Amino acid sequence: MLELLQICIGGLVVGSIYAAIALGFSLVYRVTGAINLSQGGFAIVAAMIGYSLGVSWGWPLWVAIPSAVAATVGIGMTLGAFTFVPALERLSNANALMLTAGLLTMIEGFALVVWGSQPYAMPPFFGEAPLVFGPIRVPTQAFWVIGATGVCVVTLWLLIAKSRLGKGLRACAENPAAASLMGIDVPRMTLLSFGLATLIAAIAGVTVAPTTSLQFDTGRLFTISGFVAAAIGGIASFPGAIIGGLFLGLATQLTTAYISSLFSTAIALLILLVVLILRPSGLVQAGVGKRQDTRDEKATGHVARLPANLALPLAAAVLAAAALVPFVVSDNGILSGFVIAGILFLTLMGLDVLMGYAGQVSLGQAGFMAIGGYTSGYLSINYEIAPLLAIFAGIGVSLACALVLSVVTLRLRGLYLALATLAFGLLVDSCTVGFLDITGGPSGLVGIPPFSVASVEFATPRSMYYVVLALDVIIFLGLSGAMRSGFGRALKAIRSDQMAAAALGINTVRYKLAAFMISVTLASLSGSIYAFFFNFLSPEMVGTGRSLELVAMLIVGGEGTLVGGLSGALLLTLLPTMFQPLAIYKTFASGALLVASFLYLPQGLYGAVVQIAIRLARPSRATASKETASETSARTL
Amino acid sequence: MNAQPDMSVDTGAVLSVRNLTKSFGGLRAINDVTFGVAPRHVTALIGPNGAGKTTVFNLMTNLLSKDSGQILFLGRDLAGMSAVKIADMGLIRTFQSARVFPSMTAIENVMVGAHRLARHSGVSQTLWLPAARHEEQRVLARAEEMLELVGLARFKDTHATELPMGAQKLLEVVRALMAQPKLLCLDEPAAGLNDTETQELANLLRAIRTLGIAVLIVEHNMSLVMNVADQVVVIDSGAIIASGTPAAIQTNRQVIEAYLGRENDAAS
Repeated sequence: MLELLQICIGGLVVGSIYAAIALGFSLVYRVTGAINLSQGGFAIVAAMIGYSLGVSWGWPLWVAIPSAVAATVGIGMTLGAFTFVPALERLSNANALMLTAGLLTMIEGFALVVWGSQPYAMPPFFGEAPLVFGPIRVPTQAFWVIGATGVCVVTLWLLIAKSRLGKGLRACAENPAAASLMGIDVPRMTLLSFGLATLIAAIAGVTVAPTTSLQFDTGRLFTISGFVAAAIGGIASFPGAIIGGLFLGLATQLTTAYISSLFSTAIALLILLVVLILRPSGLVQAGVGKRQDTRDEKATGHVARLPANLALPLAAAVLAAAALVPFVVSDNGILSGFVIAGILFLTLMGLDVLMGYAGQVSLGQAGFMAIGGYTSGYLSINYEIAPLLAIFAGIGVSLACALVLSVVTLRLRGLYLALATLAFGLLVDSCTVGFLDITGGPSGLVGIPPFSVASVEFATPRSMYYVVLALDVIIFLGLSGAMRSGFGRALKAIRSDQMAAAALGINTVRYKLAAFMISVTLASLSGSIYAFFFNFLSPEMVGTGRSLELVAMLIVGGEGTLVGGLSGALLLTLLPTMFQPLAIYKTFASGALLVASFLYLPQGLYGAVVQIAIRLARPSRATASKETASETSARTL
Repeated sequence: MNAQPDMSVDTGAVLSVRNLTKSFGGLRAINDVTFGVAPRHVTALIGPNGAGKTTVFNLMTNLLSKDSGQILFLGRDLAGMSAVKIADMGLIRTFQSARVFPSMTAIENVMVGAHRLARHSGVSQTLWLPAARHEEQRVLARAEEMLELVGLARFKDTHATELPMGAQKLLEVVRALMAQPKLLCLDEPAAGLNDTETQELANLLRAIRTLGIAVLIVEHNMSLVMNVADQVVVIDSGAIIASGTPAAIQTNRQVIEAYLGRENDAAS
């Protein structure tokens, strides 16, 4: 009984942190209709700055902690003003969510550069000695955590419900266009909500720091827990955020204590999935209208396309160059970089079908690479199954998991879908780390044989390069056949307007499922090849960090083009390989590039290339293209 | 054509709506509505704002669920069918606010319309099978003809949302036509169109009738309705108050009252 009480107190402490982050989610969602994933990142930045000031520089805590919070809010407001606010005017909510995922990656990368990857432990504000109430011992920090959350809740409630500013914020939430007509500065309100959310996250971060160990990527756990709490409670409701947070805190602490710490993430994600199935709008229904039913696509969703007369010569040139790469590149490390880019391109093509064409955001795609890679690796190590068969077995297992997941995801759109896939990715992460017997745990699965077909072994980077190149070309040709025909059009129609698509007889469920299964098959295939190429697979090679990187590669390259992902993959794989000392900046760069692409290069690198190609071709080919145009129209008639 | 209220429960009707009723809360939005759409006819559903016309459309395609009544399309009850199934049977509708697909060009928008007629699957498209590619070329050729027909050929490669409003509405009608519907339901196709565009729409509607497609049209533009409709059904406050030929409707006292208000409202 006493133990239970002790655990419940622990649960309440953790729960109030979740509640605080959830409050931030709820606030930004209510004002902008978008989800801000970067909050967990700000919590960590605040805690890390607090550590540097308070421990490394020896400032007194009562100066260090508020300074850390202020500095974080400063960083957050600046980032928000230059990224989130301008992006909201242009991007659909699902894309805005990916932008904040980019911000989160960027902040994690920043923390990695500044503080490295080692864990930090902050001293408690009032020392280590707990308060003793009879038999129960409560760490003093617990009061700080619960108190800080309480103050945030009350202040925020007063601000929103009672002040004039709050009225403005609420007006933005319900109808930004009408609000701006009434003289409310919508971008300012957006920035304000972003800043307030950052403030809450920073306060949560510094107060919780002494109770946990901090690492550059702990932020995403705060983000996901906060979101799970918000989703359980009802994303648009403040009381919902608090109830959800406390409930989640108690549930995870009880699971950790009585079952195993391995399952505490799993339980959180399981609760989320159950809530998403049974009551998608959360336990507490809010009076604020949901904006999920509006169209996902904004009018700017144009995709750059090469004219047919340029596409063929350009494709031939690229293919010829690709075939010559192993003869030009002598360094095995850089050639391996090319192979990895080619392997990731397999996943990216699938991801593009899913995201770029069908408009279904996936933040957990690497989870299927993991399932494929670990399945085929495990089978070929322990049962000496031929790699080709093992790959198919991996695809089979991945598809089975995908079918189960799609029971949830097919009911969801936009934000909820993105977060369900993120939750899935994290669930796979905790399995790859946790199931030591199968996956080898954090140190990875070693001794995977090289890829072979019959008795031909592909053990060198050069031979693998051609295997991957062949796979890429075959799959690209096949998918482009489908994407430029009726199948691709049906997916694009669903992405733009589900109801209008259904009214034309397009079975939206079937097509979304097909797109999902294509992406899962390719991710699984690519995960397996990856494992055979490295003869090794570890959780972070196919973890959530990879999922976010894949999204960055796709957006940077240009989505909805199939080929675009290749340039993103090459950029983000080759640059760190070629400039080894810069490798630590990779996470930061992939986040920053993702954000920058959303803002300045909406059609990606590929779009830019297409525009340059068209401009270069125009003066000399003006007559030629006219001829081809009349030729094509003659052929179609 | 006779002018008396035509109950159209005859089996020859493409669509017959029988005793349709729908309430929102305590408000009875649709009250015992019965009408039919005859083959090769343009039937217009008219009425003042808020009369329940779009609600009838949404009940027909099961976007809303009805309280009671029956909707038969080609003799089959539509109860419980999904929007996809209904479209698949050949009942294609457009929306009041032109719902073109914004990320697609005009020609792609029109080509999507052919979806329900496609015989070749994504698999054969993936394998670049000749049959699938021929089908694709046929669809492209037909879509180009369609754009030509409504004078939008020059916008072929323009993104749909960059078209003027009138062109978007025409595009939506053409997209629906690509599906070769057995019944085409148009929800206020002339709203937002200028006079020339309305004229083009009228020509298009007559052309559609000659193709043998039955049309049900909800419309505010009276001159268009009187111009092209064979049969007019007038609905007010959720109930049918008159139906008949355009000529008969124009002189119907109840209809005039519904639009212009009653004289001596207090006395009656």
